[in-house]
Amino acid sequence: MRVLIDTLLLTRRALRETVRQPANEAVNAFIPLFFYVVTVGGLGEVASQAFGVEDYKGFQLPVAILQGAAGVASGAGLAMTLDIQSGYFEKLMLTSTPRPAVVLGRMLADGVKAVILTVVIIGLALAYGSGFETGPLGMLLLVAGSGVFALGYSGIGMAIALKTGSPQAANAGFVIFFPLLFLAPTFAPTDVFADWLAAVANVNPVTYILEGQRALIIDGWDAGAILGGTAAIAGICAFTFSLTMMALRGRVA
Amino acid sequence: MPAIAASQLVKHFAPDIRAVDGIDLDIPEGQIFGFLGQNGSGKTTTVRMLTTLTKPTSGSASVDGIDIAKDPAAIRRRVGVALQEVGLDELQTGRELLTLQARLFGIDGKEAKRRVNDLLEVVTLTDAADRPLKGYSGGMKRRLDLVCALVNEPRIVFLDEPTTGLDPVTRDAVWQYVQQLNKDRGVTFFLTTQYLEEADRLCHEIAIMDAGKIVAEGTPSALKATIAADAITLSFADGTSALDRAEELLRTFEGAEDVRRVEDSVVLYIRDGASAVAQVVRSLDEAGLSPAQLRLTHPTLDDVFLRATGHYLEPQESPAPGGGADARAH
Ligand SMILES: Nc1ncnc2c1ncn2[C@@H]1O[C@H](COP(=O)(O)OP(=O)(O)OP(=O)(O)O)[C@@H](O)[C@H]1O
Ligand SMILES: [Mg+2]
Repeated sequence: MRVLIDTLLLTRRALRETVRQPANEAVNAFIPLFFYVVTVGGLGEVASQAFGVEDYKGFQLPVAILQGAAGVASGAGLAMTLDIQSGYFEKLMLTSTPRPAVVLGRMLADGVKAVILTVVIIGLALAYGSGFETGPLGMLLLVAGSGVFALGYSGIGMAIALKTGSPQAANAGFVIFFPLLFLAPTFAPTDVFADWLAAVANVNPVTYILEGQRALIIDGWDAGAILGGTAAIAGICAFTFSLTMMALRGRVA
Repeated sequence: MPAIAASQLVKHFAPDIRAVDGIDLDIPEGQIFGFLGQNGSGKTTTVRMLTTLTKPTSGSASVDGIDIAKDPAAIRRRVGVALQEVGLDELQTGRELLTLQARLFGIDGKEAKRRVNDLLEVVTLTDAADRPLKGYSGGMKRRLDLVCALVNEPRIVFLDEPTTGLDPVTRDAVWQYVQQLNKDRGVTFFLTTQYLEEADRLCHEIAIMDAGKIVAEGTPSALKATIAADAITLSFADGTSALDRAEELLRTFEGAEDVRRVEDSVVLYIRDGASAVAQVVRSLDEAGLSPAQLRLTHPTLDDVFLRATGHYLEPQESPAPGGGADARAH
């Protein structure tokens, strides 16, 4: 109970910080929207003949959403290194708060930011002419999934931040994972991939997240794809949470 | 039950820094305990161990009867800590930061609000409370950092150099509040300071640290009484050779209890200094030595410190109180 309450208190603090320093989030919103428009503009016309995708605006939408969520998810780790450097982290450690709350508060804030960004991206994509097969309920699921994905993904930067205390390391470590987003059916379905790329994509959790989200947008309630995406997000969370808790124990002696 | 107890507490840092080298403490409840020592003597490391931020290499300690190794969370609930380095989040306002600190001690919103208002009043930050900390001066940050240690109404408070970097007026206000909490509520204080005259005036007991060890301990008056002599401090215009000769001469001076060489002066400890002064000057004069400065003092904690460690304690003003990375010592 304390963990939950304190996590929410610290989430609120992290979000307040974002509101006071909105520049990062503006960049996080701009990049995926820019790529979305450019990719759709460049490939939208030929996608149907080239790889049989009719609604390329819908096909690209999950890419924009994941890119946005992943960008937002770099926030927690970076902010944590600043707390460590300023000594504020120790001040929090001197309270009686359950220690995981200090970490989860920041990660949850990234999740919340991703939810907001996802809503914005979906809204703009719909206005731009993308379809959305599963309607409002599907949108809700997609938004929630994107929030949980960001919450989990932020754990990578967080773990590195706790381990090293260095903003450079947190950022570098975080960026290294970024290619995962592109070793997946990002621009085209895996059917048209070279064998090696298809093999990589097959073991890449991002593939399953993309396919789950695409099901919601293009195909409808495809239980297999949706469960696959959910499992992939759960897997990422499990991995990054354990990493983060290990790093936390290492830091607070 | 003592408020704070330690037995052979040790902290080593790699490769072979003996930051704290086996100290024993037995601090009764309701005491203001002063921990003195020059830079690097191990004060902060001791505070960090007692407040569960750093694990001891060996030895044991308890705070409020709780073993620091067994239940650190219980200790955190009961104590208040202000570390030497201000640790604040500059994007929050003073009120937000204090309130969050209180809430993270499990204090409900209404009660937190009340305490925060009271504490802001104590450190005269009420007017600045709703401005982001970015715009606070160093002294304001220091004051806010200090009252963070009190939001949970702790019975035992650790303050690591609470007054360094504060102006004299604020410093007095801090000490008054410490005394008030001590008198009215029986709060125990463990504090480090570099200001000996403050420690003399305010601490019930003090311990002097040198290179990780406690080299003297007791009430300020008992410590001063161990030096039953006055101090005559002499300096010379013509430098070292005069100091050497004066030191040699004074060593054989009748009644001399001790002679110490400190930087560019010589200190003679002697009973009834007032009547000895004339004879001292005469003897020096006969040897062709005329002091540029002569000072006669009753024993102070400075002398106690000098006797115990072989050097004076020189307060170091921190250049940027509440400051940036450059002001982060230990
Ligand atoms: N984390 C650390 N790693 C290595 N050495 C350390 C560490 N912390 C402290 N030390 C060393 O331990 C010794 C004691 O340091 P400490 O900070 O306890 O001294 P202090 O009495 O508080 O000094 P000051 O008056 O400058 O604050 C110093 O030699 C310091 O360099
Ligand atoms: Mg110190």
